Amino acid sequence: MAIETTAAPGIPVLRWSSRARTIPDIEAELGRIWSSTNLTVPGPEGEERHVAARTSVLNLVVVATRPEIGEHAAAIVSQLAGRHPSRTLIVSSADPDGPSWLDARIQAHCMLPRADAAETCAELIYLAAGGESGRHLQAIVAPLLVHDLPVTLWWPGDPPLGGRAMRELAALADVLIVDGSSWSGDGLDRLARLADLVDDPRLEIVDFGLLRQSRWREAIASAFDLPELQPFVRSIRSMSVTYGSHAGGTANVVKPVYHVSWLASRLGLTVREPLVPESGGGYRATLRSGTRVVPAALRPVESTLPAGTTLAVELVAERRGGGLRVEVTADGEAVVVRATPDGERPIERRFAAARRTEVELLAEAIETVGSDRVARGALRAAAELAGAGSAVG
Amino acid sequence: MPDPHAFVLFGATGDLASRRVFPALYQLWRTDLLPHEFRVVAVGRRPYDDATFREEVRAALDRHSRVAPESSRVEPFLERVEYQRADFADDAAFDRLAARLDAIDAAHGTAGDRLYYLATQPTAFPVVVGQLGRCGLDHETHGGGWRRVVVEKPFGRDLDSAHRLNREVAKVFRESQVYRIDHYLGKETVRNLLVFRFGNGIFEPLWNRRYVDHVQITVAESLGMEGRGAFYEETGAARDILQNHLLQLLTLVAMEPPATFEADALRDEKVKVLRAVGDFTPERVGRDVVRGQYGAGWVEARAVAGYRDEAEVDPESETETFVAARLEIDDWRWSGVPFYLRTGKRLPKRASEIAIQFREVPHRLFRGTAADPEPNLLAIRVQPDEGILLRFGSKVPGLGLDIRTVTMDFTYGSAFATDSPDAYETLILDAMLGDASLFTRADEVEAAWRIATPIIDRWLNLPAPTFPDYAAGTWGPPAADALIERDGRRWRRI
Repeated sequence: MAIETTAAPGIPVLRWSSRARTIPDIEAELGRIWSSTNLTVPGPEGEERHVAARTSVLNLVVVATRPEIGEHAAAIVSQLAGRHPSRTLIVSSADPDGPSWLDARIQAHCMLPRADAAETCAELIYLAAGGESGRHLQAIVAPLLVHDLPVTLWWPGDPPLGGRAMRELAALADVLIVDGSSWSGDGLDRLARLADLVDDPRLEIVDFGLLRQSRWREAIASAFDLPELQPFVRSIRSMSVTYGSHAGGTANVVKPVYHVSWLASRLGLTVREPLVPESGGGYRATLRSGTRVVPAALRPVESTLPAGTTLAVELVAERRGGGLRVEVTADGEAVVVRATPDGERPIERRFAAARRTEVELLAEAIETVGSDRVARGALRAAAELAGAGSAVG
Repeated sequence: MPDPHAFVLFGATGDLASRRVFPALYQLWRTDLLPHEFRVVAVGRRPYDDATFREEVRAALDRHSRVAPESSRVEPFLERVEYQRADFADDAAFDRLAARLDAIDAAHGTAGDRLYYLATQPTAFPVVVGQLGRCGLDHETHGGGWRRVVVEKPFGRDLDSAHRLNREVAKVFRESQVYRIDHYLGKETVRNLLVFRFGNGIFEPLWNRRYVDHVQITVAESLGMEGRGAFYEETGAARDILQNHLLQLLTLVAMEPPATFEADALRDEKVKVLRAVGDFTPERVGRDVVRGQYGAGWVEARAVAGYRDEAEVDPESETETFVAARLEIDDWRWSGVPFYLRTGKRLPKRASEIAIQFREVPHRLFRGTAADPEPNLLAIRVQPDEGILLRFGSKVPGLGLDIRTVTMDFTYGSAFATDSPDAYETLILDAMLGDASLFTRADEVEAAWRIATPIIDRWLNLPAPTFPDYAAGTWGPPAADALIERDGRRWRRI
């Protein structure tokens, strides 16, 4: 049914809402939205204004394992409607042992780009599937994708990496968005299972956990900006990452691992021994470059910050008798870099590093165009550090 | 507006008549495209009279009309429908039909103009045509009375049977009286393809081997057998779709511009394309054609059975439900450009399209940017969402030089406020008007069978395939991917 509401510039309004229980009925409803001659709204002067355009730059498929995840995702997507209008499918499954069913809520959200412009609209479809049908979400998603638009699959929470459901949905997608830093446990098992997908040339993987570290990476790289320190970048002897932990709990270490994996991939280091737990807490791994062995350590420190939050990254480099220690630490909303060459005073720089919202992260993920070689390298090295290729638990 | 005439429908109690023909006739009537002096003589074996058959037609319209029937329009339409019971082998029944048609001419001023529509089993085609000839119902007279016959596909099972059928029809009707329907040609986008190619100046110069890398034509169906298992067992995807729909789409994409927009000029050019497709030798069938059969799976949120578990299907069936083929057209325009064709049942979605993939730019100026732009692509969507899409690279707004592939999309549904006619409405009206442009000529049918028959024959001589080889809800067997990937290309995700 069409809903008559006056839109204000820049603010999305619900313009259409209907329900369907089969794929053909959903397709028919989508067709009705855009062919309906009744889809008009009153303009500012009371005149009748046609909803002019359906806008979509991508298909966004969100797998919501719980209803609140779906609502949360929809709220985030709605904030991007103006910049990244998409056909959004929020899919969830329920009652796996019951009979098969499908329930779809179909909505069109519209907004005025400017007061004098025609409304542009994008579709949001909540799809809930029950019984066996809910185990074959790809059979629901595939017919509802807008052809020739890229498909971004966003799987919040714990994605079943390596499982059939993930494989089937990922086969439909160009981009897979996950948030490794929100995975349950230490996250290493899932990180290792990411390996197969990382090597799929048709799929680009975006991990919010990796995106969140971008300011840290800029800060770390900046330590080697000075010409006299630049040669040390190829002479890293050890690296360690300190992260926050809570007593008695297991910290997700995906973000700390990404620091090590990014450094390893950019410096051409290979994984000699993947991460293993240390008896006193934390993890260690061994990297190598030719015959040179580079130990890497993840060290927990009790903190009031969320478990797994990076607190510090430390690098030690040595070349021709000289040495360099680089410490990058969090300081509130900033990251501080302190580079100390042997026998010299520390060089300190400070970078603003405000925590990025999921809206910002999703916007960046959507704007990802082409293959990000840096991210792919970091993800592949992270998977290896987590044990991909060796016995994965 | 067509001349007043009698529309004689053989197979009037069948599925095609109730699903397609009567709804199309009603829609033409409802929109005032049929003359007031228009009569339908429905011919079938079942023991109906006019009144009971009209109720059948009313029910068919309620079920299948694309616009809800309005009583004020339905009643006058039904008044024009008559029922003639006839066994097609019964001479006397056809004699009665001839007398009835003469009476209609006298009573309703239809002047001897008749359109015979054969919505029957293919085996009945020669029988009905023979009876029409025996009764002289084919004879066109000077000064009035045109006679045309519409024949539904399939036109034969292979080249020999198609040739025999054409010969049987030609014993009674001249080729100019014969209208062979391939309903795909009546679809709005297919008709628009001719306008798009030959009514616009900017595309035709690019429409050749110099600019086109390859062409993909897909006719994907999400449906399975839907009660047509027995028919499909005898047919298979190669006969059902490849030989007609896919090759017809191929001809429209690849044909040279005709000198005029007249039926024979168009069909001459289409035949040339079919004749320029290289022969499918046994070796070439093995290399360039893939067949498949679906197993159980999930499609559109439903669990569906495998082909061999469908009703009326042999549990050991070797009938193909999927075909992919690589063709080349050996002429100056297309030499070296592969055409990839695929069709299948129980694919993830219902979608038919023609995609023209253009070559990469000769010098990749933006190779160093975050995303090298993809080559241009023109996709002509036949169904659903009929329309045309052009893909090109565009700079992402901002200070950098990131390039993103964007699309320029024309959709019939949103560009024009009116609904597109159903293909049957278009084609039936064209037959009534005597416009054979969108119908298939005898030599065209045989040229298409010349391509399909060696493929089907070769399969008969090969060991039994390892069917099923794709799950329902997937895009066909892995061999289909391999067919195109060996050329360094990929099937489009549609």
